[in-house]
Amino acid sequence: MELLKTLSLLVVIAPLVGAAGAGLFCRQVSKQFAHRLTIALMGFSLILSLYVACLVIGQDQSYEGVLYLWGQSGKLTLNVGFLIDNLTACMMVTVTFVSFLVHIYSIGYMAEDGGYQRFFSYISLFTFFMLMLVTANNFLQLFFGWEGVGLASYLLIGFWFNRESANQGSFKAFLVNRVGDFGFVVGIAGVLGYFGSLDYIPVFAAIPGVAEANTLIPGTSWSVISFIGFFLFVGAMAKSAQMPLHVWLPESMEGPTPISALIHAATMVTAGVFMVARLSPLYQYTPSMQSFILIIGATGALFTGLIAIVQNDIKRVVAYSTLSQLGYMMAAAGVSAYAASIFHLMTHAAFKALLFLGAGSVILAMHHDQDLRHMGGLRKQMPITYFTFLIGTLALCAIPPFSGFFSKDAIIEAVHSSQIGGASYAYVCVVLGSFVTAFYSFRALFLAFHGEGRMSHEAKHHVKESPWVVWLPLVLLAIPSVIQGYMMVGPMLFSEPSYLGNSITVLTQNNVLMRMGEEFRGGFHMILESFGNFPLWFAILGAFSAWIAYVKKPELPPLCVKRFKWLYTILIHKYGFDDFNDWFFVRGGQRTAKLMYQGDARIIDDFFVNGAGRLITWCSATARRLQTGYIYHYAFVMLLGLMALLVWLMFR
Amino acid sequence: MVTLTDYLIVGAILFGLSLAGMIINRKNLIIVLMSVELMLLAVNMNFIAFSSFLQDPRGQIFVFFILAVAAAETAIGLAILIILFRHRQSINVTDLDTLKG
Amino acid sequence: MNFTPPDFFPAILEMLTLGMTCLVMLVYLFLDQKNRGITYFLTQITLLGTAVVAISLHGSPEVITFDGSFILNSQAILLKIFILLSVSFVLMYSRTYIRENDILHGEFYLLVLFSVLGMEVLVSAYSFLTLYLGLEIFSLPLYALIALKGNKPVCQEAAIKYFIMGAIASGFLLYGISLIYGACQSFNIHEIISMMSLSIHTEPLLLTLGLVFMSAGALFKLGIAPFHMWVPDVYEGSPNAMTLLIATAPKLAGFALLTHILVEALPVLFPQWQYLLIAVALLSMAVGNIIAIVQDNIKRMLAYSSIANMGYMLLGLIAGTPRGYGAALFYMIIYVVMSLGAFGVITMLSRKGFELEKVDDFKGLNTRNPWLAFMMLLILFSMAGVPPSAGFFAKVGVLEALVKVNIVWLPAVALVFAIIGAYYYLRVVKVMYFDEPLEKTPVILESFDTQLAISINGLAVFFLGLFPTTLIELCQQAFLA
Repeated sequence: MELLKTLSLLVVIAPLVGAAGAGLFCRQVSKQFAHRLTIALMGFSLILSLYVACLVIGQDQSYEGVLYLWGQSGKLTLNVGFLIDNLTACMMVTVTFVSFLVHIYSIGYMAEDGGYQRFFSYISLFTFFMLMLVTANNFLQLFFGWEGVGLASYLLIGFWFNRESANQGSFKAFLVNRVGDFGFVVGIAGVLGYFGSLDYIPVFAAIPGVAEANTLIPGTSWSVISFIGFFLFVGAMAKSAQMPLHVWLPESMEGPTPISALIHAATMVTAGVFMVARLSPLYQYTPSMQSFILIIGATGALFTGLIAIVQNDIKRVVAYSTLSQLGYMMAAAGVSAYAASIFHLMTHAAFKALLFLGAGSVILAMHHDQDLRHMGGLRKQMPITYFTFLIGTLALCAIPPFSGFFSKDAIIEAVHSSQIGGASYAYVCVVLGSFVTAFYSFRALFLAFHGEGRMSHEAKHHVKESPWVVWLPLVLLAIPSVIQGYMMVGPMLFSEPSYLGNSITVLTQNNVLMRMGEEFRGGFHMILESFGNFPLWFAILGAFSAWIAYVKKPELPPLCVKRFKWLYTILIHKYGFDDFNDWFFVRGGQRTAKLMYQGDARIIDDFFVNGAGRLITWCSATARRLQTGYIYHYAFVMLLGLMALLVWLMFR
Repeated sequence: MVTLTDYLIVGAILFGLSLAGMIINRKNLIIVLMSVELMLLAVNMNFIAFSSFLQDPRGQIFVFFILAVAAAETAIGLAILIILFRHRQSINVTDLDTLKG
Repeated sequence: MNFTPPDFFPAILEMLTLGMTCLVMLVYLFLDQKNRGITYFLTQITLLGTAVVAISLHGSPEVITFDGSFILNSQAILLKIFILLSVSFVLMYSRTYIRENDILHGEFYLLVLFSVLGMEVLVSAYSFLTLYLGLEIFSLPLYALIALKGNKPVCQEAAIKYFIMGAIASGFLLYGISLIYGACQSFNIHEIISMMSLSIHTEPLLLTLGLVFMSAGALFKLGIAPFHMWVPDVYEGSPNAMTLLIATAPKLAGFALLTHILVEALPVLFPQWQYLLIAVALLSMAVGNIIAIVQDNIKRMLAYSSIANMGYMLLGLIAGTPRGYGAALFYMIIYVVMSLGAFGVITMLSRKGFELEKVDDFKGLNTRNPWLAFMMLLILFSMAGVPPSAGFFAKVGVLEALVKVNIVWLPAVALVFAIIGAYYYLRVVKVMYFDEPLEKTPVILESFDTQLAISINGLAVFFLGLFPTTLIELCQQAFLA
């Protein structure tokens, strides 16, 4: 146990040391030193977390304990502690693996940038916070990590702070996450108020006892668990960009591409999914919240995917596809298939990071032009990028035998066999989603790599394969994108005990994966079976349509746009979320603010705030005159004070 | 018969006089220093009175300590007074008002 | 008749300090002009060596010696450790200042050492006689120190003010002692406690009078309103290095003085002194926080801030529980660490012929020396009580102790004053970071140890905020035994 504790501590601390080393001395240290230090420490962290995973998953060890007592108030203790179990170990490996590769990739991608050291410091800092989040054994530390990754994310989205759009993106992310944080804090307060503790173990132990008997307000059917679960989920919705709080994620693509890969695809945005899985003992007891999660997730999976079809910025396409995949994960969590959810999280981390980094490689070759309409035919100049991107696309579209197939198929099947409210609607959404996914992914692939080059003649000559530090991570990420699914599908989802062991709780009546497991006969069999089902054919159909529309008959898409003007308008406006926000929150807010301001300026500001300020300043200026500087006055004040105290005590 | 209370009243009067000397005096710092001495003597008065009526010699021992400390205190006070005079050519209490507010 | 010598071991720290002081004095006499820097190192060795011995003594059982007039317990040791360390930091910060301003070298260090000796005696006092002697030994050198810088007339004014006010205060203290002596027939704290517990004190008048007079003397040393009038003048008038000294370690000694009188000797009178302290604490918080707002002299501003802070510290004592006393001690230690840093920066920024005094002198410090500005930022945030700084936990501790004994209105009032107080601290932050500097030259700190000291100090404020538990527990234990 002690070994596990020490190892985990080292895993968590190493990135922090790297961040401090590169960040505090960013003017003193050279670029080489900054990246060598942070990468060495990240590598160290990766190796140790693999070891931790071996111990936890292989030898069935676990650790739960307090590292440091941070504060105490009455019965409530606020701790820094670790809960290292199978779920945590899976997340640790995922986070450190992707982070390590992104560090390496950034050497090439950020080579020309002025804030090089600062960048490495930030991403190491981000990794530290993310690890704090996944290793937490209590809600407070979860919240600390939650806010920490948020902070690192704003810093990195706004990394190019002299770009106006980057600042706006950062600001938007900040605002939307405040909404989520509000919910999250209310949820934590609910946990504290109701269970009197913030540690996972006692809270989880107490849940079954209070699940049904108690309502929040007597006479209503609002159970406490639903209340807490709902508000915590609002936090998860903001962080994991679920509809309707998803608007910040596409804007966040203004940050450097490695950041998009690390934070906005592989790790931070999956924090919400992780949280739902971690709090599975809580969500298991609230069927209404499960349905809610399922519907939110499935809706996001289909409808954000549709938006991706009309996007022209290569990063935005991948961003919307991330939104869609997050929807799949949430849907899986909704039907209690947490293992499938985490499994998809892990495969997605690999292939989506691959897609982002591949897109980054293309952007690098195109000299930071991200418009798909200016690309084309890059296949020949950039073979490695092309092949890895192709693998990523195939994985994303759930084409067997790539990794995405296994996780996504498991999710679709789980949604299919679930009986909770909204499951049939969700099933339609996720099946149609697989068509949409294939269509937009192959659209991006064809537009970027196939056909004729649409860039200027001059630019065409400059396009060349990226340096090895850029393509090496691509290759390294392509490997798990190919094999991870086939290798892990059995032990992760269906074996007993599975990789996730006891770290998640599923009630028997909700356990769809167990029912599916009865029919599971190995990964190869799963591939064969899939040929008899909708999703795969939908995906193939999607890819085929994309081929027709963008390779065979390029004149078709404009025609469709003209024909289905209304649909195109809806999609290009992203269902009006942004416009609505703009109209309702921004302009409505401005109008209300103006009204309030006028009232406020006269009454509150002039009278109360400034009045109080003036009063205090006046008191201050008057009172200082008592300090005359004369010794005899001082002695007199002392005597008066003494007398007053005497009188006060004698005649009290 | 002189009672303990009488001694204490004398001590209190001396103490009050010394405070009055500091507060009412607007002229010379030396007088303030003298008042400080007087204050300590008032305390000594109390100690000796109590010591005698309680039949306890420790009060008188305390007085010796006070006397010794008072000597040291006066020495330092006069030393500061002298350098003050050197710089300002004045030891008037009303002149000491540069520091205020 | 047989003579048994008293147990000298509990006084080992004082004996060490005294012995080394005599050594420093002798060495200084025989040094020629250019080697006199050695006194600095000898003084530091004395302080740090004594601190190391004190740390090694921590945890040893309580001993009372010298016929019941001297005590060595965990509380005394903790206070001594922090007194010695803070004085050591003071000397590190002021070393360059002392050299550049031609302040007599050896005298300065000797007087500081004697003052430290007095503080140690005071902290360990277990009878009113040792209490008084300790107080005088530590105060008298301070009066002289302020007047030491020959060429600045305000120094002498500050010195004479401090001296006269201090003499009046010790007069009050002595008068109180004499009355308590009359009522309890002893000035030995142990005997006073047993006299009180017999509940035969038929002299409530004498006791109340004695309590008020003694408290007045002690409150004066801490600079609590209405006995605070000397604080701003002395802080402003003293040379920066002396301000640094009198703003730090003596506060800890003053805390010991107050707790010896109230908590240890007169716990029976708690209902009375609780009311007394509530009155003065409220007054202190009000006076300190309100008058500080209009100050444009930073030393004066920090002086008023110290008055307010002492008011907050008293809240812990008002609670009247060991928890509250521990919280007050924690507050005191944190305050001393913070004001060490703040006055340390002020002293370091003063150059030959230039005394940093105005808030405006901090303008644009961030562009002139970012690290120093950052350290000052940490310290000011902590003083303003921004979580999770050390100052925040200190405030939370005392307020919580009050809430625990069901006094809620007082913490509420204290919070209002804390909000007013945050304004003037944050004003300095604003000046440092957002205003144009008056002069563009970067500030370069010459000596390495000064840089190290301020870094340790600033980061200590930060890390005590992140990991306050150990120190809080030490403080709590000091009052539980």
